[in-house]
Amino acid sequence: MAEKFHTELKKLKADTLKMAQLGRFMLRTAVDALIRQDKELAASVVAKKDEIHDMEVRIEEHCYQLIALNQPMAKDMRIIACTLKVITASLRIGRYGKSIANTVVDLSSKPHIANLMSIPHMADLVIDMIDDAIAAYESDDLRPIEDLSSRDDTIDALRHSIFREGITYMMEDPKNISRCTHYIMVARYLERCADHACKIAENVQYMETGERVEIH
Amino acid sequence: MSESAIITTNNVNLWYNEKHALESVSIRVPKNRVTALIGPSGCGKSTLLRCFNRLNDLIDHVKITGEIMLDDENIHAPSTDVVTLRKKVGMVFQKPNPFPKTIYENVAYGPRVHGVRDKAELDRIVEESLRHAAIWDEVKERLNDSALGLSGGQQQRLCIARTLAVEPEVILMDEPCSSLDPIATAKIENLIERLKEDYTVIIVTHNMQQAARVSDYTGFMYIGKLIECGKTRQIFEHPKEELTENYITGRFG
Ligand SMILES: Nc1ncnc2c1ncn2[C@@H]1O[C@H](COP(=O)(O)OP(=O)(O)O)[C@@H](O)[C@H]1O
Ligand SMILES: [Mg+2]
Repeated sequence: MAEKFHTELKKLKADTLKMAQLGRFMLRTAVDALIRQDKELAASVVAKKDEIHDMEVRIEEHCYQLIALNQPMAKDMRIIACTLKVITASLRIGRYGKSIANTVVDLSSKPHIANLMSIPHMADLVIDMIDDAIAAYESDDLRPIEDLSSRDDTIDALRHSIFREGITYMMEDPKNISRCTHYIMVARYLERCADHACKIAENVQYMETGERVEIH
Repeated sequence: MSESAIITTNNVNLWYNEKHALESVSIRVPKNRVTALIGPSGCGKSTLLRCFNRLNDLIDHVKITGEIMLDDENIHAPSTDVVTLRKKVGMVFQKPNPFPKTIYENVAYGPRVHGVRDKAELDRIVEESLRHAAIWDEVKERLNDSALGLSGGQQQRLCIARTLAVEPEVILMDEPCSSLDPIATAKIENLIERLKEDYTVIIVTHNMQQAARVSDYTGFMYIGKLIECGKTRQIFEHPKEELTENYITGRFG
């Protein structure tokens, strides 16, 4: 009985990992499409939205099924509780990827202003945070997420600097307004994705230790 | 555990002949709360429970060391009267064991032994105990029928009423639902919830979900040792000891 349940839990985690990787992939690919102004690549991200949504629904159902049939306790319960949060965060990350991909059409007609300012750098940092949060979930190892809070501070600062820089370009030339508004939105999406990485990390911490912490 | 304790043990060890069945057990049982004891079969749950009203005294070749305090009195002190102790600390067993007598007599038996003679007083105690045990409405029309004609679940609640009739402070229950169906079990569980207003309940159960449902505190025992005892919420959400975690999640052996 318990053995079958624990096999199912392993499968649940493996499925969740796949979903988290897909969300991460959508974000990474969207940013790449934005940098390269590649509309086709952007369209491939948008095309993933049903897949990630279906994954979320399936995993969520699996969680409820496992709860109803096994009344999990202690670590088992915490794994399922954490998983429910991880899939929500992963879906959001994937959706922000889609939102970024949607800007590529408008932003591909002319070269980027100031090489997208700090957006590529910010995206690298955010994706590292997501990778580390996912790695912690996969490996039951909290070390990769130890310093996530201070990394999140860096992300907030970057968003703010992109905002100020964007405003500067808008004031220089009103023709930049539409483009820079997009940049500011993209920075905002990336900052939200970092928050979701922190959410995943908080829940992994709970899964591992039973302690609830706030990371932001 | 900052709540006031009704029973406290200090380094209790118990041997059945050579068999060391309890090892340095120190536990505080909070008053007016339900404390559950869980652990694999043979780990010493029933033995510990029987310590609380000195039922182990009835077994040959038992040796006990350490201190067991009930209301700040050492229950092994020469001044302790075992009959009075067992009145204060009642016990309900795994298999319902009503006497082969009427329902009324089963409940009136204890008070009679303790000297209650007045018929009206006995009637009052019987009704009140049966009400407390949530079985009054089912038996009030047939108090003079044999207790053996009741269903298993009713017999168990009758045994609880019998325990309540002598006005105990603590009620020990050793797997009280293990021979009952889910509906009878639910009735006993609801009853336990209400009993803690007036009594302290210590329940041994092999059913972890039951421990989680009915208790405020849970102690996990393993091979004669109390591994961990704490708020039930904490034990089942995040136990401190890995052994507890492994037992609760079925990752054992
Ligand atoms: N009367 C007895 N004589 C000898 N050994 C006993 C006696 N009662 C229990 N034991 C032993 O003591 C250990 C604890 O038993 P018990 O308290 O009944 O465990 P539990 O209630 O947790 O299943 C077991 O190894 C059991 O075999
Ligand atoms: Mg037992």
